[in-house]
Amino acid sequence: MNICGYSPESINEGEGLRAAIFISGCKHYCPGCFSPKTWNFEYGEPFTLARQREIIRDIAGNPLLDGLTILGGDPFFSAREVSGFIDLLHLEAGPVPVWIYSGYTYEELSAASDSDEYALLGRCDVLVDGRYVEALRDPSLLYRGSSNQRLIDIKQSLEHGEAILWQSVFTK
Amino acid sequence: MSLMTKAIGKEDHILDEVIRLGDDIANSRDLELLRENANLNGESFSGKMSKFGSEYAKWYANHFIMPSQLVQAIQDNIVYVHDLDQYAIGTTNCIFIPFGKLLGQGFNTGNGSVRPPNSIMTAMALVAIIFQSQQNSQYGGVSANKLDHDLAPYAAKSFAKYFLKGLDYFEEQEPGMTAADLGEISMSRLDLQERYPRSFRYAMRETESETLQGAESLIHNLNTMSSRAGGQIPFTSINYGTCTSPEGRLVIDSILEATMKGLGSGETPIFPIQIFKCKKGVNQAPGEPNYDLFLKAAECSARRLYPNFANLDAPLNLAYYDPSDPDTEFATMGCRTRVLADRFGRNHLSGKGNLSFNTLNLVKLGIEHGVVLGRRSEADEAGFYRELDHYLNIAMEGLLHRFRIQSAQKAKASDFMMREGVWEGGEQLAPEDPVGELLKHGSLSIGFIGLAECMKAMYGKHHAEDEEVYQKAVRLIRYLRSFCDRQSEKLNLNVTLFATPAEGLSGKFTKRDRASYGSISGVTDREYYTNSFHVPVYYSVTAATKIKLEAPFHDLCNAGAISYIELNGNARANPAAFLKIIQYALDQQISYFSINHPIDRCSACGHEGIIGATCPSCGSHENEVHIRRLRRVTGYLTGDFQTRFNSAKQAEVRDRVKHTS
Ligand code: SF4
Repeated sequence: MNICGYSPESINEGEGLRAAIFISGCKHYCPGCFSPKTWNFEYGEPFTLARQREIIRDIAGNPLLDGLTILGGDPFFSAREVSGFIDLLHLEAGPVPVWIYSGYTYEELSAASDSDEYALLGRCDVLVDGRYVEALRDPSLLYRGSSNQRLIDIKQSLEHGEAILWQSVFTK
Repeated sequence: MSLMTKAIGKEDHILDEVIRLGDDIANSRDLELLRENANLNGESFSGKMSKFGSEYAKWYANHFIMPSQLVQAIQDNIVYVHDLDQYAIGTTNCIFIPFGKLLGQGFNTGNGSVRPPNSIMTAMALVAIIFQSQQNSQYGGVSANKLDHDLAPYAAKSFAKYFLKGLDYFEEQEPGMTAADLGEISMSRLDLQERYPRSFRYAMRETESETLQGAESLIHNLNTMSSRAGGQIPFTSINYGTCTSPEGRLVIDSILEATMKGLGSGETPIFPIQIFKCKKGVNQAPGEPNYDLFLKAAECSARRLYPNFANLDAPLNLAYYDPSDPDTEFATMGCRTRVLADRFGRNHLSGKGNLSFNTLNLVKLGIEHGVVLGRRSEADEAGFYRELDHYLNIAMEGLLHRFRIQSAQKAKASDFMMREGVWEGGEQLAPEDPVGELLKHGSLSIGFIGLAECMKAMYGKHHAEDEEVYQKAVRLIRYLRSFCDRQSEKLNLNVTLFATPAEGLSGKFTKRDRASYGSISGVTDREYYTNSFHVPVYYSVTAATKIKLEAPFHDLCNAGAISYIELNGNARANPAAFLKIIQYALDQQISYFSINHPIDRCSACGHEGIIGATCPSCGSHENEVHIRRLRRVTGYLTGDFQTRFNSAKQAEVRDRVKHTS
């Protein structure tokens, strides 16, 4: 698995200050995709164990972070490896909250409870779901590009068996 | 000294110099000169007119007034005398205005006398007038250190007025009752609310709307009025955040609300600089009386870059804090000036200010005594400190010399400031009396610039790159502070250490050092030196690390310092991150803090946020419509950094790495 980007602190990919890792590779090919370069699974640098540990150390050592966001490409095309990384993160840095982006919808990802995708979903807290639809583009949306995309509270959704939207602690 | 060059030109060059000075200004030949100050349009007629005055005044001070050692030190490019154009006439720098007193007693602007206001609307209008009048008595900033406390009584007056009106309208008054029977009417009178609910609610609503209108007009006024012969908008700052009375809270809320709304077409106001005062127990945690206003301040700052955040709990500020006297609460001149302690007992803010400051170019000393030129393999620390002492003494002598000129001025020279007692005690002076005995309550400050480049030149690494170098950097700043402390004792004056806000200065030292030494990587290869003790804007560290590294310097710089974090991204969409960073900085005991983030504004559709080449909202391209790019420089915002900043500051803004991406 390759990664094509890493920000130790970002305010653009989820609530609060978050580390962000961009996983290479996507097969959704949405027209108007923000970065078609990331479709290539070979793009970027190999996400070696050493690099993983380095990033985990960054995260554990930064008192300002609210968590980690994993984006792509679409990390769910590398679900098993990403799950492995999250396990390592949680083992070494404690219960760091994880946001994850996908071109798949929550319903698609949660359809089969024995799938790798489902396993990855269960390791994360918030899912930003759905393909990017150019016609529904709206720059005023929080943390996403088009209005079909949703911010989903994964734990709540899995518990209730249906997609439940995430609520910001900051909504007035 | 090996660094010296002959300071003053020969007699016959004097006339040539004077003529060239005039030519350069009249023909706008020297853009750097005209843009020195981002707040002044130096290419306008009035801007040029004031440049004529100030350039000649500088020239005169250089040739005929200043001690020759000081002129030499300037020539050596190690000492910088700020606001040199004001040196010979003895003007003072900045002040915290006692608004409570001026509003309470009424005042006279020189053209007419003003009665104490009877409503919050009038009080807020008078605040602008006082700022403007005072600005003409000095050259630096004017600040309100506790505007919420100062204005609360006038919100109460408005409330009382509406309440009595309400009693009449709604016929809620009891037979035979007079206004005097009600006692002092205020928003906190729950008994009144219970007995006369309709009048109370009416008075509440009317006062709220009047206060908001007052706040809007205050902000508009402070962005449009001129001072100093029309050349400049007053450098105004307002501090607030700790007044917990319902009236004070309303004042704070209204100022924030008006700021978030923006100016006429919704654009971000540039003045006044706003500072929210943070104090544990008052506004820092859920359940504290003004916590909601702190949250609102964070939201406002995420949208509008203001307010900044002052930390009343930082040790150097807490030392003088008296909860029963808001005048002892740390507040700041927006550009960071801090005055709180006074050897002569005035350990509060209003009624005094900074008198003047001289800044040291640490970088040149570093180059001369460091390893960077390859002359030696180890830094010559003994030589460095010896020469530092030499220039510290000259800078101090210069401050003293200027202080004597300032002290000898008559009260009538700073008419409004003295006559109205804006400077505490001034009202007791006769117009011909010298002001010296009063000015001693102010501060004389030694500033510094380029700690990062100095360390790089000395040791090959700057203070964010190496732990050992960091310790040396702290030691150096501690040395500067102890020099100031010793001078305070010796001279019996308030001498303080300043983390200089180097706007006009940031490129001047560098340009001349580069001419002497060439472009040295990490030292003179940029157009500016790093401000004060800051981690260089081009050096990539996380926000948390930058805060940790800079925090200990705040405690040393008792004349003021600020730390910034650069956020890349739409901060207004993510107040949670914003809040967390602020509170972390406060916890690390940073005294004064702010977050920079880009605000671009599309002039086609009014969209504000981050705009690349094309507006994300209406799709206009920057080649077709003007995209106004608002950035902060030395504490002040500047309308459009590409047209008003001098080139060194433009370069600094370009080089800023974001602590988040
Ligand atoms: S899912 Fe995201 S990365 Fe993949 S094509 Fe769509 S927009 Fe691009």
